[in-house]
Amino acid sequence: MRPGGPEDDLVWLAERLVKFGKSCGADEIEVGIGDGYEFSVNVRLGEIEDLVEAGSRAMGVRVIKDKKTAFATSSDLAQETLERLIRNAVRRSELASRDEFAGLPSLSPVRVDPEGLRLFDPEIPELDSKTNIGLALETERIALADKRITNSFGASFLAHDGTSVLASSNGFVGRYRKTQCSLSVGLQAGDGDDLVEDFWFSTETHFKDLEPPEAVARKAVARTVRQLRPRKIKTQRVPVIFEPLMTSGLVGFLFACVSGVAVYQKSSFLAGRLGDKIAGENITVIDDGLMPEKLGTSPFDSEGVPSQRTTVIEKGILKKYLCNTYAARKLNLSTTGNADGNAVSPNNFYLARGADSPSEIIRSCEKGLLLIRTLGHGLNPVTGDISRGAFGLWIEKGEIVYPVSEITVSGNLGEILGNIEMVGSDLEFRGSICGPTIKVREMMIAGEGST
Amino acid sequence: MTDPIASPPAFFEDHFRLSAKDLLGILETALSSGGEFAETYLEYRTYSYILMEEDIIRETAESVSLGLGIRVISGEKTGFGYTNDLSPDKVRRAALSAAAIASKDEPAARPSALAPRGLGPSYYRVNEASHSAPLDKKISLVKAAYLACQGAGPEVKKVKASLQDQIQHLTIANSEGLLVSDSRPLVKLACVAISEKAGLRESGYAGGGGRVGLEFFSAQLTPEEIGREAAREAAILLEARDAPAGEMPVVLSPGHAGVLIHEAVGHLLEADFNRKKTSVFADKFGKKVGVPQITIYDDPTIPAFRGSYNVDDEGTAPRKTLLIDKGVIVGLLQDRLSAGLMKMPLTGHGRRQDFSDIPIPRMANTYIDKGEYDREEIIRSVKKGFYADRFQGGQVEDSGKFTFSVSSGFLIEDGKLTTPVKQATLIGSNLDILNKVERVGGDLTFGPQTGTCGKEGQEVPVTDGCPTIKISKMTVGGKG
Repeated sequence: MRPGGPEDDLVWLAERLVKFGKSCGADEIEVGIGDGYEFSVNVRLGEIEDLVEAGSRAMGVRVIKDKKTAFATSSDLAQETLERLIRNAVRRSELASRDEFAGLPSLSPVRVDPEGLRLFDPEIPELDSKTNIGLALETERIALADKRITNSFGASFLAHDGTSVLASSNGFVGRYRKTQCSLSVGLQAGDGDDLVEDFWFSTETHFKDLEPPEAVARKAVARTVRQLRPRKIKTQRVPVIFEPLMTSGLVGFLFACVSGVAVYQKSSFLAGRLGDKIAGENITVIDDGLMPEKLGTSPFDSEGVPSQRTTVIEKGILKKYLCNTYAARKLNLSTTGNADGNAVSPNNFYLARGADSPSEIIRSCEKGLLLIRTLGHGLNPVTGDISRGAFGLWIEKGEIVYPVSEITVSGNLGEILGNIEMVGSDLEFRGSICGPTIKVREMMIAGEGST
Repeated sequence: MTDPIASPPAFFEDHFRLSAKDLLGILETALSSGGEFAETYLEYRTYSYILMEEDIIRETAESVSLGLGIRVISGEKTGFGYTNDLSPDKVRRAALSAAAIASKDEPAARPSALAPRGLGPSYYRVNEASHSAPLDKKISLVKAAYLACQGAGPEVKKVKASLQDQIQHLTIANSEGLLVSDSRPLVKLACVAISEKAGLRESGYAGGGGRVGLEFFSAQLTPEEIGREAAREAAILLEARDAPAGEMPVVLSPGHAGVLIHEAVGHLLEADFNRKKTSVFADKFGKKVGVPQITIYDDPTIPAFRGSYNVDDEGTAPRKTLLIDKGVIVGLLQDRLSAGLMKMPLTGHGRRQDFSDIPIPRMANTYIDKGEYDREEIIRSVKKGFYADRFQGGQVEDSGKFTFSVSSGFLIEDGKLTTPVKQATLIGSNLDILNKVERVGGDLTFGPQTGTCGKEGQEVPVTDGCPTIKISKMTVGGKG
């Protein structure tokens, strides 16, 4: 797919821009360049809907002069544009305030070898469009063969091949190439005005690990039809079991609350809680940027800090906030290799697996809700409050009895963390944020009638 | 350098040496495999950002986004390629990627000669363009919002204030001979307040702007008003109790509650969901879906609004579009692909996030028209219920199930707003809610000019509006 990767040129360009920035008067400068190639196809009802094939590059720069910071980004990589942006950034930095916490990290003696992380699959750039289109068509065809499925949102195959380069005035120069591919399908079922929908997907750094069309289609069908003919339920407090994708959503919200940036801005309810017991003994949460072949893995972050494994919550105790260099300095902590420009982002951020199988967890529930989908936002990191539209399966005497919809689930992350009664053994790395099935002792379900 | 706003068609020729003749050549390449329609979308956008937090101007940022997207339509299929390198070989490669959707050996159509089309009256209201204003002037606006927020009360502990602006130059040329350009300004000043009291922590948000110049922040909405409003919300939430849980009458605040119309109705009247028959509205065109009090428009031509544009991202002149007339579906939001396949008129709602995206039907400025009830009378009519005041956004699925998140509200007791309540998600089914609208107020208001709508991974600026509305029963998802 890619017409030969001139990665050396990008490294050369990044290093040259660092020198240029220094010559313009920057005390410190960091230049990142991304070069990506994407292929995507959407098919629907057996025909191609759209086909995209494209390559693009982008550059980002941070300059610091007199402890004052300015940023610039560009997708126009013409030399004239890049040099103008860097000159402007140096000039503009003077209008910012002096900030003793500003600055690049010092160069780490640790280097992570990108090769060992196995992020690049040479098979992905070689895939031909016909194969890719065929995978999407096959997935949808298998799904639509099930008579209960009445319409399709389409199936997609995506492939991405990207090179990231970073050069910094602290002496860091690094690069890595990472591939990703995914196969997905979205389905609708039901009749009249009673429609239900769901989807399934597989996404991997290596093509060989992608779930086959058959598996993606069958799972999407099962997830869709299990919601048919939902009932409404009364407003009540009951145990709630989160399926792995739902736990991932909760773990993603937790990430927003252990972000060092949110903590120094006091926009997290977990600010000031380091060392406290914030969850049950069965809760351990890890951020690991070093897991080979995983979607959230990389050798270094956007500041060139080497990736690492960080235990964020250990048996219920809050051990670490995830920091970039700035947040680390503000909080007098150390950086954890999670920098993503000004923000922090997760590497592989997950709730460690427990001992119980998902079926045991469901069996343990006398009456409750198996949460299968949510709708809407309703997450507030400042308070930890959660309130979301929900779809689920109602459980009675340890058995799934019928689907429910048009309800909301509400709670508070701080309380939920202390109330997770069971943690499943079914942890899968389907994205960079994940978790297994969990059972929460009690949450508020709003449905018919009021309390 | 020519002023791009004064003469947009010359912009890409001046800056990138891409003449109308070159564009015609690109279209020819794009049609070389037998596609019926080809289009190029050239974009050059600059963006700037100023952030104040921790009492300092922490950073400034500048961005440049440049690129060309090429689309080919063959039947119901779309081929698409893009590049941010405008050199002739890269552009040709993108055109061939798009062309590949059609698989004939020779062209079935040739592009028509390009005829530059002027725009009608502009819907942008700019005296002092933000993108070219001196940075120190913009910094002073950010500081003014920050200080007003910080000074609003002792419970305000952290403040974040920011100004974002952009200018988006675009030129669209297609194989039907269309050649049109636009330069769209957009500015937003926003403030976040974090309040603390007795171990509790809350946040408040406020902002404004639109397709306006910096004079907006002295004439229409001052930075001080934005700062104080963020502080007000953060402070009131410290006194708020948990929202109730369950079904109850709900009154929606004017303006801010427009997000409900956006989610519950707007998305499912986007033509693509109806063409594909996944929308619950797909078989209800011309039919009654709600009470006669409900009339809904989408109007991309409201001057100065965030969601407005002089031309849509396919080169169509936008039109105020009646979607629901007294409870009956009468219109859809169209782009070229769906309008062509459905044999319906274009409405000018084909939008894309940027050059690397395929245009799809989108909302612009969506609102429910004013009714006849008095606001006070509406609140007085509720014995026990929930007043939804400020919002964080929502989501809808094609079945019509939708949610929207309330960041702050009040209990209604015996016809009066009483205790403030915090965060709750409301859920409903659109066909159900449209029939449970009991009263529509006469006080049509538009929400703050800060909204962004996401669909299929593409974000575009939008505005929505509504008068005070009473819904007889809806599920409120508080902690109880």
